[in-house]
Amino acid sequence: MPEPLLPEFFALLAVDLFLLLSLLSCLLDERLPKAIPYIYQIAALIGFGHLLVSKTFFTQFDEYMRFWYNFFYLLVALGNVIAVNLYLAVEKKLWTLAKAWSGAVTFPMIVISVFFLSNYSYLQGAEFPMLILQIGFVLSVIVMGVSISIFLSPDILNKLRRRKEVNQWK
Amino acid sequence: MEIRKILSRKEMKLVTLLLTSLLIATASAYTYISLTMTSTVQVYAADVVFWVGADNGTKGLVVTFNSANTTATLTGLRAYPNATFTYTDPVRVKNKGGTTAQLRLSPDVNPSANPDDFEYVKFLLNATTSGDRKWLNYTSDGSIWTSPSGPTSWTTTGILGSASWPIVVYTKARPAGVAGQTVTITIKVDVD
Repeated sequence: MPEPLLPEFFALLAVDLFLLLSLLSCLLDERLPKAIPYIYQIAALIGFGHLLVSKTFFTQFDEYMRFWYNFFYLLVALGNVIAVNLYLAVEKKLWTLAKAWSGAVTFPMIVISVFFLSNYSYLQGAEFPMLILQIGFVLSVIVMGVSISIFLSPDILNKLRRRKEVNQWK
Repeated sequence: MEIRKILSRKEMKLVTLLLTSLLIATASAYTYISLTMTSTVQVYAADVVFWVGADNGTKGLVVTFNSANTTATLTGLRAYPNATFTYTDPVRVKNKGGTTAQLRLSPDVNPSANPDDFEYVKFLLNATTSGDRKWLNYTSDGSIWTSPSGPTSWTTTGILGSASWPIVVYTKARPAGVAGQTVTITIKVDVD
């Protein structure tokens, strides 16, 4: 029988998210402030501290409380992913990079978090709005369809771009 | 100067961050796994069980056991007015294991019915050594039953491997006890 998810799983997910952000921001160090990778490493360390606190006070803290402080930490991590996305798009005007970031980091991370949250709430017997899952499913199908079509015929992007330019000249 | 240049290189930073990331991720995952660790508890056959005594089938007594001999039901126990009636060997506690086991008699369901018909029902764990013998006494003053109270009444005692001790039952009805009246008592044998 599979082990049910503990609320601390959200903290673990958030720690990994901060570490990913740290490494990616190190790779993009010309476009982001120099201190950002180290700040994210410290944020990940705080998450590790979170897990240690949960472990120490496992019997004293009830599940409701543990869920909320772990879930809040995950929200902070997701907020940072979106903030970096917005920083690249709005502040730096790096549209291509911002689009790539949203497709490769922001969107998958949000979908993964929603998936685990829905799984956790289902196992806890809590009702989770099905609409969010349906929207997530539709978006995933669209992204997957576009990705497959681009993978199979890479020229499609150039064709679309050319058509756009022609329309602009008209 | 050269060292500073090497340390400030992007590759170096990335390798350092990668190593610390691995360390933090591993420590976090290990902490999470330690939270989800489960214990496996296996059921073992009990070493200390109930065993049939020599009094079974005599004086109206019928002793029945469950399949694992971990519960024994004594029916047909008699009590006579103004006379102590003794079952010296109705049921036994047997240690089937090879090592000494700590056990004790303790109350489970105390009597409440017909206190005006009974004077006492006493249980004695009749250990081989007199100092190891333990009592559980249920007495009635005619209006209410008094049951053993507090753990001091049922301290543990060690039974050697392969040994068996009888649980002696003493009964006495009140002089005006009405024939046919009954009382039910449940006691436990706790094994450490």
